[in-house]
Amino acid sequence: MTIVVAYKWAANPQDAQVGADGAVDLSRAKPGVSEYDPVAIETGRRLADATGAELVGLSVGGPQVGTSMARKAALSRGLDRLVVVADEALDGARAATTAAVLAAQVREIGDVDLVLTGDGSVDEGAHLVPAVLAGHLGWPLLVDVTAVERAADGGLRVTRSVGAGTQVLEVDGPAVLSVAADAVVPRVPGMKDILGAGKKPVAEATVGQVAVSEPAVVGRKRPALAQRKGRLLTGADTAAVAAELVAALRADGVL
Amino acid sequence: MSSTWIVVAGDPTVGTLVETGRTIGGELVALVLGPRSTAQRVACAGVDRVVWLGEPGSAPLEAFAGAAADLVAAGRPQVVLAADRAADRVLAGAVAARTGAAALGGVRQVETVDGVVQVVRDALGGIVRERLALTGPTVLVLDGGALPDEGVPAPVEEVAVTPAGVRVVEEHPAAVGGPDLHSAHRVVAVGRGLRERGDVAIAEALAVALDGATACSRPMAEGVDFFPRDRYVGVSGQRVTPDLYLAAGISGQVQHMVGARGARIVVAINTDKDAPIFRECDYGVVGDLYEVLPALTEALGR
Ligand SMILES: Cc1cc2nc3c(=O)[nH]c(=O)nc-3n(C[C@H](O)[C@H](O)[C@H](O)COP(=O)(O)OP(=O)(O)OC[C@H]3O[C@@H](n4cnc5c(N)ncnc54)[C@H](O)[C@@H]3O)c2cc1C
Ligand SMILES: Nc1ncnc2c1ncn2[C@@H]1O[C@H](COP(=O)(O)O)[C@@H](O)[C@H]1O
Repeated sequence: MTIVVAYKWAANPQDAQVGADGAVDLSRAKPGVSEYDPVAIETGRRLADATGAELVGLSVGGPQVGTSMARKAALSRGLDRLVVVADEALDGARAATTAAVLAAQVREIGDVDLVLTGDGSVDEGAHLVPAVLAGHLGWPLLVDVTAVERAADGGLRVTRSVGAGTQVLEVDGPAVLSVAADAVVPRVPGMKDILGAGKKPVAEATVGQVAVSEPAVVGRKRPALAQRKGRLLTGADTAAVAAELVAALRADGVL
Repeated sequence: MSSTWIVVAGDPTVGTLVETGRTIGGELVALVLGPRSTAQRVACAGVDRVVWLGEPGSAPLEAFAGAAADLVAAGRPQVVLAADRAADRVLAGAVAARTGAAALGGVRQVETVDGVVQVVRDALGGIVRERLALTGPTVLVLDGGALPDEGVPAPVEEVAVTPAGVRVVEEHPAAVGGPDLHSAHRVVAVGRGLRERGDVAIAEALAVALDGATACSRPMAEGVDFFPRDRYVGVSGQRVTPDLYLAAGISGQVQHMVGARGARIVVAINTDKDAPIFRECDYGVVGDLYEVLPALTEALGR
């Protein structure tokens, strides 16, 4: 049996510079395994160890996804091997295209009965890739998953959060699970993990046919932020600062 | 003229979706998963007809996504609208896959320009806003809006389908929550500057003095459970539009601020004078929330 973990190689937009014309400069933003995806990898590792499954990492994107640094960063987190599709054509690919390419690779890997994803990617964060991927595979998707076990009959027992509560579900067949950001605490790769990562197998696959007609960009801009007063209230006397703030809020009519 | 579909997973608060669907024109069809009451509520929301997949029983709504997608695909819509909520996104994704459509999240505005549907959306966590012209069938995920006004009911067609093999076997509902975040006029939000669970009382005391609600940044609700998960503000959480948003011990990362930018007045309290939130506030206090929040509570009492 094989468990696939889909992870994204991406930079945090918090570190990007956006020009007034909407041009995004990512030169100061370093890419990495997308913030929450290590949680999915760790969840997969534990389940694979408990069930004797193989754990395959899968990532698609621009050429950066295939660099040695990117491969090692992913493999050092506990994956057995990788499949990457690193192609210019997928640089900045949108959700539907990304998911179609991921689905084709999951089918290609074969013998897969579980795909794990992170909660949301650090750059797009639309929580859509797992949904479209599950749609292509024809498998159910459960999101906000906090725990997963293999049941004696081969099915899955999945715990997820719903609003502020939780649910336990039984899943018969193959499934896609989007793992909650805090499901487990992922390991911090050590020197040994990073060295070992260089020896693990990596398969490079090609994009293949994608039939999605993605929209055309007709304009971009930096969103106009509301004009804020930006007034700093200073002073060593906290009570006086508090009184000044309350007076200002009263004057603004928000109290 | 092709049809526009709205897909709904359980929650009938889809006022914005109906309005948006109407501006696109053509027949407006709603596909509804969930109890009959949801289908009936959506039927009165201004759509032309409703396709309802029947009572879900012990299957979670996600188990119907594949069957729902087949029904939507048969209608050959150019645009499908879904609310930005967990189960609705699962449904939206299944529809996109089944219809070979593009899928866009973070949609803020939809309009028709010279006969072409254009969309304005937040990209890269909200640091850029892009305008896109649709070139084929597309699924759009946007804020669902409020519960629509109740009008004349449209016909509801019930279609029996077989859900995927998933069952809810245990249910642990949340304890009753605090006051509603969306209707609160004043929100006191705390982040990782708050050190212990018991210290939430400091924020609550201020919220009471302000007649408002408490909220938090994401790490306060996930990882540590100082707050329930439905109380964090941001791109993955709630978007709020109060008169006053007071953020204490929150650094102001873009993923958080996206949910707070709709506030009329933003107050930031942070020990770090270089915290990004000070660039997006009306009033900033460089100081320790453990001193400033109680001082504010007291100042309000006077
Ligand atoms: C895909 C994705 C989606 C995300 N979605 C969300 C989301 O929806 N909502 C969200 O909030 N986050 C979200 N995040 C996380 C986000 O990037 C930040 O990590 C998070 O908002 C930081 O929370 P914070 O400000 O509480 O913590 P920190 O960034 O650690 O900031 C804590 C602040 O407290 C200050 N402080 C410390 N002690 C005190 C004190 N005694 N008094 C006053 N100030 C003090 C510090 O100076 C610091 O500025 C998301 C991230 C990703 C990758
Ligand atoms: N390009 C990609 N390659 C592999 N997995 C991805 C990719 N993009 C998104 N994912 C997965 O889908 C999850 C949600 O991403 P998103 O829909 O962009 O919020 C991520 O946490 C990843 O697990």
